[in-house]
Amino acid sequence: MASFDRASSARSPLIPLFPQWGRVSIFELALILTCIALVVVRLPTSFQDVLLLTYMFAGLALAWNIAGGYAGLISFGHAAFFGVGAYTSTILYLNLGLTPWIGLWVGGLLAAVFGAVLALVCARLRGPFFILSTLAFAEVVRLGALNWVSLTGGPEGLSIPPVSGYANMVFTSKAIYAWIMLSYAVAIYAVTKALEASRFGYYLCAIRDDEDAAAAAGVNPLIGRTAAMALSAGLTGIGGSLFAQYFLYLDPTFLISPELSFQFALLPAVGGLGTAIGPVLGSLLITPLSELLRSHLGNAAAGLHLVIYSAGLIVVMLYFPGGLAAAIAKLDWRRRRS
Amino acid sequence: MTPLLEIRNVSCRFGALLAVNKVSLQVAKGELLGLMGPNGAGKSTLFNLIAGVLPPTAGEIVFDGKSITDCKPYDVARIGIGRTFQIPKPYRQLSIVENVMLTAFLREKTTAGARRIAEETLADVGLADYMGTPINALTVGLLKRLEVARALAMRPKLVLFDEIMAGLTPTEVGSMTKFVAGLPARGITVVWVEHVLYAIMKTATRMVVLNRGEVIAEGAPAMLARAPAVVKAYLGEEMDFA
Amino acid sequence: MTAFSQLLISGILIGSIYALMSIGLTLVFGVLRVVNFAHGEFLMLAMYGAWGITQVLGLNPYWGLIAIVPAMFLFGAIVHRLIVQPALDKPHLVVVFATMGLSIFMQNVALMAMSADLRDVPPVFAQSVIIGPLYFKAELLLGFVVTLVCTVALQWIIRKTYLGKAIRATVQDGEAAMLMGIPVPHIFLITFAGGSALVGLAACIMLPLFSVFPTVGLNFVLIAFVIVVLGGMGSIEGALLGGICVGVVQSLSGYYIAPAFGQMFFFILFLLVMIFRPNGLLGQKGAANIGMNS
Repeated sequence: MASFDRASSARSPLIPLFPQWGRVSIFELALILTCIALVVVRLPTSFQDVLLLTYMFAGLALAWNIAGGYAGLISFGHAAFFGVGAYTSTILYLNLGLTPWIGLWVGGLLAAVFGAVLALVCARLRGPFFILSTLAFAEVVRLGALNWVSLTGGPEGLSIPPVSGYANMVFTSKAIYAWIMLSYAVAIYAVTKALEASRFGYYLCAIRDDEDAAAAAGVNPLIGRTAAMALSAGLTGIGGSLFAQYFLYLDPTFLISPELSFQFALLPAVGGLGTAIGPVLGSLLITPLSELLRSHLGNAAAGLHLVIYSAGLIVVMLYFPGGLAAAIAKLDWRRRRS
Repeated sequence: MTPLLEIRNVSCRFGALLAVNKVSLQVAKGELLGLMGPNGAGKSTLFNLIAGVLPPTAGEIVFDGKSITDCKPYDVARIGIGRTFQIPKPYRQLSIVENVMLTAFLREKTTAGARRIAEETLADVGLADYMGTPINALTVGLLKRLEVARALAMRPKLVLFDEIMAGLTPTEVGSMTKFVAGLPARGITVVWVEHVLYAIMKTATRMVVLNRGEVIAEGAPAMLARAPAVVKAYLGEEMDFA
Repeated sequence: MTAFSQLLISGILIGSIYALMSIGLTLVFGVLRVVNFAHGEFLMLAMYGAWGITQVLGLNPYWGLIAIVPAMFLFGAIVHRLIVQPALDKPHLVVVFATMGLSIFMQNVALMAMSADLRDVPPVFAQSVIIGPLYFKAELLLGFVVTLVCTVALQWIIRKTYLGKAIRATVQDGEAAMLMGIPVPHIFLITFAGGSALVGLAACIMLPLFSVFPTVGLNFVLIAFVIVVLGGMGSIEGALLGGICVGVVQSLSGYYIAPAFGQMFFFILFLLVMIFRPNGLLGQKGAANIGMNS
């Protein structure tokens, strides 16, 4: 799926124009500046919601991609980690008064533990068996949250009082949320790039491509898989905490839904698995489209956005398995080989 | 002098089949040991026992003075034993250089350092011109060379070669034979399982012949080719027409 | 004791219907080595079809079989040609994502076309079957009988007919089968379409017992996955056994433990099976290694 010629990427000394493995390119810098500009110009409120959700999903798709794209651990249960993060910071805030600024790290850590447990439980499983187990795992977490009423409020959910202030991480200005979500996405982008440039990142790719060969190169596949899943889950959990602070209401049927898990997986799949830019492009294309369709057509066409984007997914998977990232790579005329 | 690799009374049983039966072997530093035997003789099993893929049911394997009997493949790699796969197992989504970098990471933690080792190793095995080629475009011969490069990029004390000649053209066999023959001089001990006998007979300093899980002959290549036990194992009992 | 036997037998009956709905999934996996993530949506589509027939023609849903089974066969064939077949020679996750995409596509088309309302049909039989102190819905008993007939018939097809032998040859070694003149792509097509036709059959049997709504497939597909894994992917008699296990567990735990925890218990059961018996209760050895390096 990877579509870059990484072999020569460490060669040219200048900042490359187009995205490359393990390096920052002009394309990416321009993209980040555009994202910043979009927050600065203060779009109308409804667009700001779309914008911050786009950033959040970019971050979540990047987090998913660490396990799914690089380590080959295709998970359809990441909403469980999202939910764990959201509930942890919220419960700590509501019950103990702990500020979400700290709570989100606790949430991330707990989600990472959940991720490690999932990886260990599924240690021997591959392919569809692994995927199905992630689905079942998320269902167990969802039903747990739904039934542990004293802690999670059960089907009623939990509400965060809308008292704005920096200490309780609730803001009236959408722009601040947009900044937070953008920082979240950029931070995970940086983690991904660092991963690409590191030995650990290569180890994950090796485990994905051939476990026996990886083991013969001194890589312990179980540790690699567990670490990748924990990292991915932890970052997803932090995203969950951030979402809770924005949405101010937690409901297990949405937070830990299979639909949300699919969304985390589909954005990188459309954008390009195992690339840093792929999940970002996937989210930039799909999240605004689906949010705008949803808000403009409303209930008249409930589900239309998902119809369009699942049809897009099928076409991309069958005919352009490299995703949007491969399309960008093709633009790079200087690196194109005959 | 203590041997680099010592196999003491190692057995491996799969259900009713005793694939390796009380095999003892010593490999001295700087040796090029050829391991031969007919199909089903237990060569691959012995190979996998050393590489940590299979645990022996009895016996002990000692490398460099330490027991590696219970080691996993990644432990075995970390203490300096490189290996190739009989059916090449490249990382299909990585480039050729990256394929080799992954083993080089055992010597160099940084990507730049590992890349340097990988490029040197690739040049060494004659793949310098193929660094930009996608994995899926490589021929069997080139994939086998990539396997060899991967095993050597970790700068091993001992390499295990598993049929690196199968599927190669005669020219390729010639150059590969010459290359492998030069390894002991560079301080790399070689244990080599091979079906292409003329290649291994020419290069090995010592040969071990396995049949039905047991060592049936051991010695210099020239001597073994005429040993009755070996001929019998390969061709069956000699008929007595007298 | 009466309560227990009532629950046990209800569990077996409902479980057999779950098994019927899972046979298509296990068949496709066994032959094509592909997990169809849109399996539940096939069921949803067929249930809507059967419901439509009851509404338009005023017939009971069992009559719908005549139209739904061939229609689903055709639908399966089309999906196979357009989505599954092009993905077969690509990395495994292509078919995973493509069928996942199809699942979301169908769910949301259904949502737009039919809204999220629950649709159901009135009971077909006015009376329950009474055996001693035990009561059973006649629809459940009928479903049980249909499942048994279906399992036996499928076994017969696979053991005795040319088609069945060709299918088994393909499962054992696709390449060798091809060399022996078995048209493997056709076998794949027929298996996928046949699996879909079985889903159509299951849908008509299930409609009098369950409501249909756009996301109904998700509930059932998770149950089907559990059954298929329990029974061993690719095993038809395993699916029956797995279905009955799931039905009994659900029925008993729903009564003796809280219903909601019963559902959770059932996913935990799935994970336990995955950890300790990844090849299922009756499954073929090595099945869990499918997709190992894809």
